[in-house]
Amino acid sequence: MNKMHSALRELAEMDELAVRVSPIHALHPAAKLIATVAYILVTLSFDKYDLSGLVPMLLWPILLFALSGIQVRSCFYKLRIVLPLVMAVGLFNPFLDRTIILRMGTLTVSGGVISMLTLMLKGVYCLMASFLLMATTPIDNLCAALRQLHVPKMLVTLLLLTYRYIGVMTGELAVMTDAYHLRAPGQKGIHISAWGSFLGQLLLRSMDRAQELYASMLLRGYHQHFHYADIKPFRGRDALYLLGCLLFFFLLRSVRLAQLLGGLLVR
Amino acid sequence: MHMADALLAPAVAATMYVASGSVAGVSIHKLKKDDESRKLPVMAVTAALVFAGQMINYTIPGTGSSGHMCGGMLLSALLGPQAGFLSMIVILTIQCLFFADGGLMALGANIWNMAFYGCFVGYYLIWRPIMNSRWFGEGKRAQRARIIAASILGCVITLQLGAFSVVLETSLSGITELPFGAFVALMQPIHLAIGLVEGLITSAVLLFVFQSRPELLQGVEPEGEESPRRSLGTVVAVLAAVALVVGGGLSLLASSNPDGLEWALFGNAEEGYAENMGLDEEAYGVESAAADTAGAIQEATSFLPDYAFADSDSAIGTTVSGIVGSAMVAGVAALICLAGGFFCKKKAKA
Amino acid sequence: MIEFQKVSFGYEKNRPVLRDLSFRIERGEAVGLIGANGAGKSTVMKLLLGLLWGEGRILVDGLEVRRDTLPEIRRKLGFVLQNSDDQMFMPTVYEDMIFAPLNYMLSREEAEARVDAVLERLGLQDLKHRYNHKISGGEKRMAAIATILAMEPEAILMDEPSSALDPYNRRVVIRTIRELSQTKLISSHDLDMILDTCQRVILLSDGHIAADGPAEQLLRDRALLEANRLELPLSLMGRSQRSY
Repeated sequence: MNKMHSALRELAEMDELAVRVSPIHALHPAAKLIATVAYILVTLSFDKYDLSGLVPMLLWPILLFALSGIQVRSCFYKLRIVLPLVMAVGLFNPFLDRTIILRMGTLTVSGGVISMLTLMLKGVYCLMASFLLMATTPIDNLCAALRQLHVPKMLVTLLLLTYRYIGVMTGELAVMTDAYHLRAPGQKGIHISAWGSFLGQLLLRSMDRAQELYASMLLRGYHQHFHYADIKPFRGRDALYLLGCLLFFFLLRSVRLAQLLGGLLVR
Repeated sequence: MHMADALLAPAVAATMYVASGSVAGVSIHKLKKDDESRKLPVMAVTAALVFAGQMINYTIPGTGSSGHMCGGMLLSALLGPQAGFLSMIVILTIQCLFFADGGLMALGANIWNMAFYGCFVGYYLIWRPIMNSRWFGEGKRAQRARIIAASILGCVITLQLGAFSVVLETSLSGITELPFGAFVALMQPIHLAIGLVEGLITSAVLLFVFQSRPELLQGVEPEGEESPRRSLGTVVAVLAAVALVVGGGLSLLASSNPDGLEWALFGNAEEGYAENMGLDEEAYGVESAAADTAGAIQEATSFLPDYAFADSDSAIGTTVSGIVGSAMVAGVAALICLAGGFFCKKKAKA
Repeated sequence: MIEFQKVSFGYEKNRPVLRDLSFRIERGEAVGLIGANGAGKSTVMKLLLGLLWGEGRILVDGLEVRRDTLPEIRRKLGFVLQNSDDQMFMPTVYEDMIFAPLNYMLSREEAEARVDAVLERLGLQDLKHRYNHKISGGEKRMAAIATILAMEPEAILMDEPSSALDPYNRRVVIRTIRELSQTKLISSHDLDMILDTCQRVILLSDGHIAADGPAEQLLRDRALLEANRLELPLSLMGRSQRSY
């Protein structure tokens, strides 16, 4: 299975998750989008040494996973892209920042270790948040919400059209790649002699295809104007959800929940 | 080069969103004046093609490794800078949303690093001047050579700018302890190699298009048509201007949010950080004028001087209770997970 | 309904694709357009739809195809593309179907009612909210036809409607085409399908009409077909007659 096949499968999996039924899926996409953005911003705003403040931020995604019936492990696969990058940047911290900021008996923890950990936590949290958004919201609903939030129509239409054709083009390239490797056993990638023509052939074909597509739009009365599926109304419960989320984030940011809870036990 | 959310501070992420958003706005405005409706399907299909094309492994001769294509230069050569930029935005958005490749908040920065440089700098300052020049003489052969030169130069330069921006944005966000200089020294050479390979791949694809359907390429005149061409001197002058403008732009960007950069460059003097690292201001050769301006702006704008350490007492002073509390939160989270799983299984049975 | 009067067209000056083509299709007729690859079948369709411009006159319902009449002409004609992926550009079947009715200024309720009526007529209610990139080839072809029917065109043009379908889906498409009462112009190499769906056949060869007549008669003319790089429909050919 080549990379394109697995990308197609990943897309299909997201599609399947997004059309499930749950209280979270039923919410207005704009409410979910804003809540997600707010969550990420709050998460990122924590100081790099504020590990104990960051830990309770886990509650929101976990709660969402539970409510939407989506399993936490379904997003672990996506960590393979985020974590190495974050690690690469954060890995130097323990060596460069040796300020001791925590002593427990003989055990000392340096600032670098803490800041590396917060960095990784932030990476995982943000990933979970955007994963949850896409796993509970079909792309067409999200685009409708973007329209409501006054994202330019051209960009939204382009997003929808591109999403539609990503499946088609990736599928064709997957077949071409398979066909190439069937005739070139033992080669890991495309040989230099075919660097231009491999993608170029498909590119020329795509240009013709774009003309067909444009014709198909014109023949059905298209004039500078795209109509979208019904946009769901923003209802009371959507507002309630959004307010609840924002309040929750504000609390987590301002109240030191971890210390508070710990204080109950330790003191 | 896709940045994750965790590498950015909210202020930096927001700034980059504003920057990329404004460029997108201008592009949309420009495209609306042209024939937008005709371009949309071509943009969508080409964007989808580039998205898929980025997954192709190209074997690099003589090495065991393989290279990839990013697509900014390719898109702007095929669609023009504005349409190419919007197509790149859409590609990056889909990668971010569906494949977690780059974060939702980092999208603005990613668009800037990969789409803006590739499309606008790559097109206006490299592709078009070179294609309009008399480099390599006249005729088809010379035009092919110009395509190769423009692709390679374009990919290398725009990737260098992108990589430098990644370093700048991460440092401004105060994420890494890695000194700015060391980070730059780490990133730029890697991306030089990547840029070279990408440039070769891009030129191969563009050459193929040039051979079969030259009219598809932007800024390439059809055979036989004569138009006033700029001399080599103009190209060099333009490239020099690019360097100046880009350099100036970057330093402006840097000075508008200097605390992070200053911190990244010189560490925190009070903590003895700079001495520990054996670094001092002179060693970095930062122009004193720029540094002074930066300092002045910082003093004028900063409401939280030495931000990263301002509330260090409360933040660093993690007590045992903090750890215990964190453990409790983790416990609650695990419980929710279990309950959630239970809930789902029950629903599945019912 | 559709009339070509001395229509010529060429992509390059000296190599005409169509030469002085004239024919007339009456309202309600079902006409098959056949001919070897490159005979000019697609060009005829594209000229009719105003996607290409040639010399001569083309009339649709008495109206000449010109740039200013194009919106009206296109409203009367529905074109089913050969590749359904090129035709279905919206995320879901429903959104694709409602695209044209909304463009023609129908209210959302009317448009929705029209979509539902077409889906019910074709028995495709299940497809309504499915994603275009997740339905099978056969479903996609039927959805593409439904998309065009939702426009309520007066004439339907089809480019290879039976290509790349399995026998069952091909049968379904043929049955659907037969049940359509509109004027039909179908271009295809699938002569069995043409025989099943059209009363009349126009055979194109090198840009001119080589034959024009009743399908039953023309598609039995082995010599004529083979002279134009075609073959007898399988259903009219005994097993022993097949030559490979």
